[in-house]
Amino acid sequence: MRRLPVYFLLDTSGSMNGEPIQALNNALSGMINTLRSDAQASESLWISVITFDREVNEISPLTELPSFQLAEIVCPRSGPTNTGKALELLFDKVKNEVKIGSPTQKGDWRPLLFIFTDGKPSDPQLYSEMIPKIKSLNFGSIVGCAAGSLADHSKLQELAETVVHLDTADSSTLKQFFKWVSDTIEQGNKSMGTVDTVSLPAPPSEVHLVI
Amino acid sequence: MQEVKTYIQSLFSAKGIEIKPNRLNQFEEFVALEDSLAAVKHIFENQNSLMNKWKLKNRISDILSLQIVIPNGTIGKNYSGHIDFEKLNLSDLIFEQFEGLEEIGLYFNKTNDCIEGIPSLSGDLKFTLLFKVNGEDENEELNKKVIQLIVNPDPKSLWKDIPSDPTDQFWKEDDVSISDKIGEKNIVISSKRGRSHKNVGSFRDDDFAYAHFTKTGWSIVAVSDGAGSYSLSRVGSQIACNAVIDFFENHADSEKSKEFEDKIISYNETGEQSILKEIEVLAKQNLYRATVFVHNKIKADAEETFNTHPELFNNPKAKSYLDYYHATFIFALFKKYEFGYVILTFGVGDCPIAVMNIEQTETTLLNWLDVGEFGGGTRFITQSDIFHSTEHPMATRFNFTIVQDFSYLFLMTDGIYDPKFVVEANLEKSEKWLEFMEDLKGKNEDHVAVEFNPENTQIADQLSNWMDFWSQGNHDDRTLAIVY
Repeated sequence: MRRLPVYFLLDTSGSMNGEPIQALNNALSGMINTLRSDAQASESLWISVITFDREVNEISPLTELPSFQLAEIVCPRSGPTNTGKALELLFDKVKNEVKIGSPTQKGDWRPLLFIFTDGKPSDPQLYSEMIPKIKSLNFGSIVGCAAGSLADHSKLQELAETVVHLDTADSSTLKQFFKWVSDTIEQGNKSMGTVDTVSLPAPPSEVHLVI
Repeated sequence: MQEVKTYIQSLFSAKGIEIKPNRLNQFEEFVALEDSLAAVKHIFENQNSLMNKWKLKNRISDILSLQIVIPNGTIGKNYSGHIDFEKLNLSDLIFEQFEGLEEIGLYFNKTNDCIEGIPSLSGDLKFTLLFKVNGEDENEELNKKVIQLIVNPDPKSLWKDIPSDPTDQFWKEDDVSISDKIGEKNIVISSKRGRSHKNVGSFRDDDFAYAHFTKTGWSIVAVSDGAGSYSLSRVGSQIACNAVIDFFENHADSEKSKEFEDKIISYNETGEQSILKEIEVLAKQNLYRATVFVHNKIKADAEETFNTHPELFNNPKAKSYLDYYHATFIFALFKKYEFGYVILTFGVGDCPIAVMNIEQTETTLLNWLDVGEFGGGTRFITQSDIFHSTEHPMATRFNFTIVQDFSYLFLMTDGIYDPKFVVEANLEKSEKWLEFMEDLKGKNEDHVAVEFNPENTQIADQLSNWMDFWSQGNHDDRTLAIVY
């Protein structure tokens, strides 16, 4: 069976502490619940969650949706945003986990990547080095989300072909955003039969598409 | 005694009551009084009780905030989730009962500490663990800990079956099954809309066509799979199948065809291998012309539709109007001669064609599949670069085979190949084809059988039923054509 692997890279640096991290947890678990009742997602979706602050943690390894359990995401009170380091771990994970088609192995659908941040990389050099490597992984789509006024979407644009901006990382905005993410995943499930990138649904009003 | 004395001394000192040196003897006597001893004992007891109560409260709070994670379940499927009390450091927990398990259809098996049963509800469910902790008073109320259990819905129940819109300009029947004579053989074909289309009321993208030309004795079967993400691909697959039949019926070069037949006759008489080689070349040239014809036919139709209905062409990913018609395409031509059957095939995309020998022991795959590194990385008849690719030369897409006779000739879309053969390598294995035949004859979960008998008038319905097999993650359109 072909899997649709979806990777979430979530910023848990100090600035996310408090309400934003609460909102992120709620929005993510809401999204997972929505996906559980989607026919296609329930059969083929595999999810991986990686958080990054000073440390990079794979808090939920790539797991099929029916068995997936979202671990609570916590963040330190302060500290840097090591986005580059997170991409490094992501690169290894995708290389090892996503199945490439061959005469004896069923290839996965092209994986999707969602990267969520409320700041900018504290390790810009590593971040820049990792971009071409990540792009070589043949993602079906890379979606960047910059939340709040301090988030730098120009950095995200170097990596992601679609970047959205959220004015705040509050509960209702994040809920809207992750609703859109789940629509995008469902879209990814449907875009079978081409080598093109996944076409994304139109984002809700709370989510501004950065062009 | 000393303990009592020390306690009273420290109590007095803490409260600022001084014991003067000249009253020390009197203090000793005071400490030794029965009343004093009893009072201090009482105090000690109360202190201990306070401390223990606090410890217990702390412990209970710890247990209440401890995360007990148990595996997710699926509605209607056997569930077993172990709660490892020891590993969770809960050996001081006195288990009383679980509340709310029954409502979910589950129970707690005390012998192995497992929650077992078959969940009858789905969702983000909760049940309660009622417990006490070692040392708690018997009369204390039970503590309650809520545990989360995720039960997935039955994937089958999530799929809707919305009919496609019959008023659509390019409507196509959702499911088609047919059986017929084809030359001296018989044919049964079923083409059914996949779950992913049913779920949203969209159209079947697969298509097929077949014909027997009495004038020449040739038969043809064509199968095509429109690319799911392009809006007019169902039209592409339809045109492809019909166009190839149109070509061999009305547009084939009659001189070339005659040359071909003449050579076959002389091969039949002489058995010379060099003639066979020439036949093969002629055959492939003819097939090539057929594929160009099909490509151009789709192109012409696409152009016309583009001119009359430009509003249908609104996909930002499409590079040309032809992209909207993307379809994989396979066909097989066969004719019976004195020496056996000549089978000619063509294939672009990931749909296999295979022939099983008359003894039903060997099966030969007649085309190679365009399978990308990732799902969906296939090729289409609508892509002009397939005609001049150096990586995958067009010539290799044609096949010329002679067999004495055959039991079955199969053409199928990936909707059948993916769930039944899984990977390309399995298509090369005769035993996999034999398993596939067994499956068709009823060796499957639902015991649905297709009876391959020329007298069987129900065969199309039987195949149609067989096509409804459940396979997780495989929700594509399914088309299967079998010549027998």
